[in-house]
Amino acid sequence: MLLVPCPNCGPRNSTDLRYGGESHARPDPNTASPAEWRAYLYLRDNPAGWLRENWYCASGCRRWFSVERNTATNEFRDPPLPGDKRGGAA
Amino acid sequence: MADTASPLRSTSMGPAFESPVVRNYPTSEGGNLTLTDASATAKWLVRADADGPTADRLGARFGSSQMAPGGALVLGSRPGEWIIVGTPGEVSAAVADLDGLEAQEFMTVLDWTHSRAMFRATGVSATRMLEKVCGIDWSDHMTPDGAVLSASVALTTCDLARNDVDGTPSYLIFCDRSVGQYLFDALIDAGNEFGLTVTASSAS
Repeated sequence: MLLVPCPNCGPRNSTDLRYGGESHARPDPNTASPAEWRAYLYLRDNPAGWLRENWYCASGCRRWFSVERNTATNEFRDPPLPGDKRGGAA
Repeated sequence: MADTASPLRSTSMGPAFESPVVRNYPTSEGGNLTLTDASATAKWLVRADADGPTADRLGARFGSSQMAPGGALVLGSRPGEWIIVGTPGEVSAAVADLDGLEAQEFMTVLDWTHSRAMFRATGVSATRMLEKVCGIDWSDHMTPDGAVLSASVALTTCDLARNDVDGTPSYLIFCDRSVGQYLFDALIDAGNEFGLTVTASSAS
């Protein structure tokens, strides 16, 4: 069982949450090139190690949050604190 | 086994209430574990800033519950979201107490009575029944009387509140109306091994 540290609900089974993918900063639409948009939309780092990713607490607080997970060991670190306005973007 | 639960209830506010639990069950009073369809209870939803004046007026913070001065039960179900439960008069009083706050912040107040099912599971085995269908730690120190949370129950998203009755563990379970019948049956299935009995529908 993968326990995801929701900042509002505490550790929850991952089945209570929805995986939102890797967390990337959204490029500025006024200045981003097509290549940058393509990279933002479609390209993923997919490392075997620490990765900042988005989660949606679907069955709990219904809030998005981002947290770092080690994709090799499923450890979590740096969960946001309750009330943190940090959303999907890193 | 003296009675059967009626699927139709009515409240003094609005049209006659029709419970999402439409099947009839043999009912009885008492027992170590009881399940009651309390969907006819007046339920209102309030959404506003989690730290704004509405939050201060309602009192209950996320994860906790509090009795309003008029007798309604206020549940802090999510950050910036509250469920107000009680008789129509109690809930109306609690909602009326929010008058004027809309000028200070954006808020939403919605009558949820007809759109949400609400069940009450009571008894010393209620915790063990919930453990079968929900991944939450239901121990007393994690979810004491008054605790409120949202979680998956039998694969449906529910709001839950512990609201003990005379010292006996009791849980209010809210779900979408469309899955009410399914969840009621799922809870009966989970509670059968603990001697669950269905009690007649209640409006509070």
